[in-house]
Amino acid sequence: MSDAILKLAGISKSFPGVRALSNITFDVRAAEVHALLGENGAGKSTLIKIMSGVYQPDEGVMTLDGGTIAFNSPQEAQDRGIATIYQELLLFPELTVAENIFMGHAPKNRFGAIDWSTMREEARKLLASLDIHDLDVTSMVGTLSVGNRQRVEIAKALSHNARILIMDEPTAALTEHDVERLFGIVRLLRSRGVGVVYISHRLEEVFLLADRVTVLRDGEFVATKPVSETDHDGLIEMMVGRRLDALFPKTEAPLGDVVLELENVTRQPLTKDVSLKLRAGEILGIAGLVGAGRSELAEVIFGMTPAESGTIRVDGRNVRIGSPSAAKRLGIAYVPEDRGRQGLVRPMRLAENVSLASLGRISQGGFLNRQSEATLARKSIDQFRVRASGIDQIVSKLSGGNQQKIGLSKWLATEPRILIMDEPTRGIDVGAKAEIHRMMSELAQEGMAIIMISSELPEVLGMSDRILVMRGGRIVAEVDRADATQESLAAAMMSDASASMAVAAE
Amino acid sequence: MSDTTAPRMRLTVTHELVLLIALFVSLAVLSVTAERFMSVGNLLNQGRLMTEVALVALPMTFIIITAGIDLSVGSMFGLSAIMLGVFWHNLGVPLPAAMALAMLVGTAAGFFNGLLITRLRVPPLIMTLATLALYRGLAEGISQARSVRGYPEWFFVLGQGEMFGVPTQLWILVVAIIIFWIVLTRTTFGRSLYAIGHNETAARYSAIKVDRIKLIIYSLSGFMSGLAGVIFVSRVSTTRSDMGTGLELDVIAAVVLGGTSIFGGVGTIAGTVLGFTLIQLLKNGLALTGVKGDATIVVIGTVLILSILITNFLQHRRGGDG
Repeated sequence: MSDAILKLAGISKSFPGVRALSNITFDVRAAEVHALLGENGAGKSTLIKIMSGVYQPDEGVMTLDGGTIAFNSPQEAQDRGIATIYQELLLFPELTVAENIFMGHAPKNRFGAIDWSTMREEARKLLASLDIHDLDVTSMVGTLSVGNRQRVEIAKALSHNARILIMDEPTAALTEHDVERLFGIVRLLRSRGVGVVYISHRLEEVFLLADRVTVLRDGEFVATKPVSETDHDGLIEMMVGRRLDALFPKTEAPLGDVVLELENVTRQPLTKDVSLKLRAGEILGIAGLVGAGRSELAEVIFGMTPAESGTIRVDGRNVRIGSPSAAKRLGIAYVPEDRGRQGLVRPMRLAENVSLASLGRISQGGFLNRQSEATLARKSIDQFRVRASGIDQIVSKLSGGNQQKIGLSKWLATEPRILIMDEPTRGIDVGAKAEIHRMMSELAQEGMAIIMISSELPEVLGMSDRILVMRGGRIVAEVDRADATQESLAAAMMSDASASMAVAAE
Repeated sequence: MSDTTAPRMRLTVTHELVLLIALFVSLAVLSVTAERFMSVGNLLNQGRLMTEVALVALPMTFIIITAGIDLSVGSMFGLSAIMLGVFWHNLGVPLPAAMALAMLVGTAAGFFNGLLITRLRVPPLIMTLATLALYRGLAEGISQARSVRGYPEWFFVLGQGEMFGVPTQLWILVVAIIIFWIVLTRTTFGRSLYAIGHNETAARYSAIKVDRIKLIIYSLSGFMSGLAGVIFVSRVSTTRSDMGTGLELDVIAAVVLGGTSIFGGVGTIAGTVLGFTLIQLLKNGLALTGVKGDATIVVIGTVLILSILITNFLQHRRGGDG
């Protein structure tokens, strides 16, 4: 084993009112992938921000190649060969791939002007060295897919001769195919001696990719272990401090009447001739690739983009759902995919977010009742075990899992009968995930009809009573829980031929 | 202070405190430098002069909180004033009805702004810049540069008269301030304005009727501009087509000085009230001190920049990196 390039010892960091990290030990060696695990709020983000120079530790020592260092800015860390790729990619969409890669350190010609041809050439070489040959360095970054943008970001990091690459949940927004390619690139970097710090919520990735794993919990160091000496359950136990009996506790719920029925519903371009039935107490899973039209279908049912043709029935009565408020009156709730953009008003307080979809319930004649609002917010905190300093905390300060709980409780406050959840556990930690699943199960028990859109096949398989597979805006397969396997679903999601086979196999 | 105190509340209160201090400092300085400044008569008269800007600044606060803007207020103000003259003088409509119709014209003009902003998704800045020209052009075309005079005596009570020793329009302003303040702080409507300003998409996904709310606030802006226009005609006893030119700048300056963020989601009626009061007192006090008009504008501009710097400083110190 090679020696550590970067070492952190006894690192502590506090923010007003919170001790984010206490006495953390961490090191990165050359040519290894070191996974960093922990629930949301465990301190992973703070730790990588210390390594990348965004924050300065209150206590503790950082050493690089044996010498003590203190970064005063991200720039300094970058100059010393530590590059960070954040979840939100920091690229300029209106500039080309080459310009983004060399932003701030473009090659100059002898007149001091930017040497465009050298820049393009260097950019091509960098990408080629990462085994990326299908990316045009002159195309605008804004036109690229998320996977491609991430590759540009990696190339940009390497253009600074990074020896340590920190990746914060790089696969959170990627398709299956892009994940494969990312893994290829990470392994390539490792073989070249780069030390990679890899943060992910997907434990499978840790076993596929990492050499060592460090677990944090509540800002404290739990352990660093070689991946070969751990297993799935062991890691979860280290992360949450307890054993999770089952990640998908879907219990059988008695199915009631059909509450929602769609017949040949169409809304161009991504909802085509969709028919489905949803019963009380049922969890209907909708699987499909990104762009298959799953969220678009949800938005049709929710009235965000009303149906152009076809029939929608709620409790057997024909209805027209022309707006979200019409959907809300019919008892339909939609917890959207994108928490930050669609689900929450993050600069506002927790109580204000919880009540936002049910302002009518906490007011009389248009006048807000602050008392009812506070009661509602406290109830949500208790019911969902939201970790927050209080009902007046600003929502953007909460961890992802807690934000998701607020997004859900906000809609449960409207007392819906039909609940559509779009990627309910994306980007949240194992503990919060289990709680959301438990919640969904309980709601189904109480007779709620639930549509769950998810890209995680284990989740779809574990939680759904019945699964619909969508592709190109159509429902291409319907599978009962008992008959579904990961393979049959994946096949239906990808190709026409296998889809018809999956249907035939029913 | 406990952890449960809302940071946003603390922030705006602090900004208002800064303004309040600025207000008292100005009062103190001006009362020393200008003898006639600190008299009840002068201060009440300043209230009279301030009312038109103030009335329009109230709905402007709502609009800017939703991250919108209404540049056409001066033109709606002028159009309403002209229409008052046209209805009463040219068409022979009884004056009370003409006043109502003039305000209705203002409301319709605002409604038209709102309609195009919500239906065609034209950015408010572009839309109201266009109607700024359009409504002014209409006002000039209709009036054909003729002014209307000879309003009956009772009409001047509104703009020149007094009730219980206080200018009539100040009573109207006080009532309007109270209504706007209650709506913004105590109602679901006010809450929705903040939500729209912070994140319009999320507001839509929360089943808030965003378009309807926008339609209402832009119409309200038209209505209040119309009301201010009618009061202005009563104050100056005449109607001319160039009335209210440049009003939008005074109004927006007052609202922004009051701490309402042009990016949306932040702002209070109390801040706006302090904003227009401070501007009016500075204008008057400096004029009485013998400062020339140009220099007065420089001082007001400086105060505006300072207040924004102070607010930004306070925001950064609170670590607004959420």
